[in-house]
Amino acid sequence: MKPSFSTRAVAFLASAALLAVTACSAGSGTSSGSSPGGDQNLSIGLVAEPASLDFTTTDGAAIPQVLLGNVYETLVKQDDSGKIVPSLAKSWTVSPDRKTYTFDLVDNAKFTNDKQFTANDAVFSINRVKTAWTTSLKAAMDVVSQAKALSPTQLQVTLAKPSNDWLFRMTTRIGAMFSESGVSALATAPVGSGPFKFSKWNRGDSIVMVRNDSYWGSKPYFQQITLKYFKDATALNNALLTGTINVIGTVQAPEALSQFTSNDKYQVIEGTTNGEVLLSFNNSLPLFKDVRTRQGIRMAIDHKALLDTCWAGRGKLIGSMVPPTDPWYEDLTGVAPYDLAKAKSLLQASGAAGKTLRLRLPTLPYATSCGQVVKSQLEQAGLKVAIDQLEFPAAWLTTVFKNADYDMSIIAHVEPRDLGAVFNAKYYTRYDDPTLQGYLAAADSGDEAAQVDNMKKAARRLSEQAAGDWLFLLPNLMVADKSVKGLPTNAITENFDLSKLAR
Amino acid sequence: MKRLNPSLIAGGVIVAVIVLMALVSFVWTPYDATLVSPASRLLEPSWSHWLGTDKFGRDVLSQIMVGSRTTLFVGVVAVGVAAVIGVPLGILAAMVRRWPSEVIMRANDLLLAFPALLLAIMFGAVFGASTLTAMVAIGIASVPSFARVIRSGALQVMRTEYVLAARAAGRQPFPIALRHVLPNVTSLITVQASVSFAIAVLAEAALSFLGYGTPPPTPSWGRMLQESQEFLFSAPRLAIFPGIAIAIAVLGFNLLGDGLRDRFDPKLEDRR
Repeated sequence: MKPSFSTRAVAFLASAALLAVTACSAGSGTSSGSSPGGDQNLSIGLVAEPASLDFTTTDGAAIPQVLLGNVYETLVKQDDSGKIVPSLAKSWTVSPDRKTYTFDLVDNAKFTNDKQFTANDAVFSINRVKTAWTTSLKAAMDVVSQAKALSPTQLQVTLAKPSNDWLFRMTTRIGAMFSESGVSALATAPVGSGPFKFSKWNRGDSIVMVRNDSYWGSKPYFQQITLKYFKDATALNNALLTGTINVIGTVQAPEALSQFTSNDKYQVIEGTTNGEVLLSFNNSLPLFKDVRTRQGIRMAIDHKALLDTCWAGRGKLIGSMVPPTDPWYEDLTGVAPYDLAKAKSLLQASGAAGKTLRLRLPTLPYATSCGQVVKSQLEQAGLKVAIDQLEFPAAWLTTVFKNADYDMSIIAHVEPRDLGAVFNAKYYTRYDDPTLQGYLAAADSGDEAAQVDNMKKAARRLSEQAAGDWLFLLPNLMVADKSVKGLPTNAITENFDLSKLAR
Repeated sequence: MKRLNPSLIAGGVIVAVIVLMALVSFVWTPYDATLVSPASRLLEPSWSHWLGTDKFGRDVLSQIMVGSRTTLFVGVVAVGVAAVIGVPLGILAAMVRRWPSEVIMRANDLLLAFPALLLAIMFGAVFGASTLTAMVAIGIASVPSFARVIRSGALQVMRTEYVLAARAAGRQPFPIALRHVLPNVTSLITVQASVSFAIAVLAEAALSFLGYGTPPPTPSWGRMLQESQEFLFSAPRLAIFPGIAIAIAVLGFNLLGDGLRDRFDPKLEDRR
């Protein structure tokens, strides 16, 4: 029998209702639905899955976030206040000329391949940065002229010139200690001496870490920690609401935070990070070589409105590449204040007005969201902006980061003290400024006061020259089951320390 | 006198309204659909913003109006791609000898077995997310249904006396396909196009929702749904309005397809 018109109409209206319901539940079905497990297991939801597990050859913050401090350890590390404290090195001394560092190493650390950690491994790891690493961050090790094992537990490192930055860099990924016999499969089977062992990687879904029961230091509480990756911000929230995960490592939908703040089952942690959300310019392009174009773009953006619109007002306006947790922080938001009339005249003068700029965005929630605001605001100043989304990390890293095939992009730079690393001629920003390099060199070689003074000058130089536009500093927004303890208020290192977590 | 066909009328009216909305949006919308206005964000529906504003302060009605352009554009191109490939394939499969026809139809079955949305996501991943990629992918995914329907119609036409006479008179296959077969399957093409259009509308919305369709900030109903997820508790209207727009558009094209089928199919005509 042929259905009547009214029957079909009702059926379609029911379909419409179903569609609305589908919209309401969208995003809840991406996880496997498995329970996070018992008391000894924890599941953490993150975004931006690593492209590889080898940070010696692959850029990106996602790899050290997982592995550093958890699988790999460094000689020294940062504490929660940013102070450099012992790790695999119990103590260290610096020679009067500030060129020779002597480290006393722990004698009971072992790699997960059962090899003892010794000064020879430290020498191997330091030398390997120069010989085998391919990422741009390796440049921080260029200052080392020699690394020598004085005994199995004593390491001596000689620098070519005094460097304030070197010891700090040793707290980051380039300071990771490797076993000489454990570097054959870094991309898939990392071997370290840390409190966790890498267990398995379900690509596109999760990375599983298990407790290293033969760890030399304090053993972690959790026997197994699963890091689950979500592309969709709402799916990440829903995973916590449904109990698929216990912690949202970084909230990607701040507008929806109210569903957790009003629920006693959850704790919300809000602090600060190192994540400067940068509107980057390809400074090698003729248009961006003109400082008026760069300044015009900076002044065309109403940063307060942008932060309110795209990240629910959470975060901090900084005006340069320095977060407030660094000793040389200054509020530089006044250097290029929002001034649409001035922005228009600068862009007109530089010849940029009316030109179309490609804004190539990674598929990350903050970038997609802020990109739309940036486009709208720049178009009010007379530019044309064509948004192009690139899959993150693979497509964005290849197109923008490696090949610099872009005009503008938006990405959060979460590495600590990364001003010099981000703004140089070799990095994807292609920013070549001898004056800036002079300040950075003076900051590196001078005493503590000179370092602070020159880093302040460098940050101001960047801001005045508008080498990029610092949209805002990402907040450390985490949501977790109330029972989870040890979550960091501030995320100022490049690793997520899982060993401190407990229930 | 023929009776009124309610499906055809209702579908026609709905589609006409959507087309009109899209055409009007070229010359007028209440506000600029892509203009970010932080001062006006998340406003409730009012006289100044009939459907309220989204988190960027953009007028929802203006976005729905401009979004209808995206929807229709994707539908037209996707159906066009499907018809341009599917119709000749269907006619060819009906006219050639047994084994080439089998090859065409089994290849068709192979494509039919592949989930359309997965195919479109694959296209998006390989060629980059864009409206063009979505249109082509949806079009290719719709080819099998066109080819199947047209083949069955063409097979019937091939058995008619005027085609047999043309063949006996020594006419070449191509002129027969063009002059006798194609005109007689036009009604099937029209019906299938309308049904495929509804599928294309839904597929574009799904792709944009998943981030493989129309990139921001070009308004798209699917992406409006996606962007509304954060506000399901605080401003559910942001999901409801584009959801209703998608549902009505799909309803309209389906009703139109049903109505056209009833109108063109003599058997159904007799049953009324």
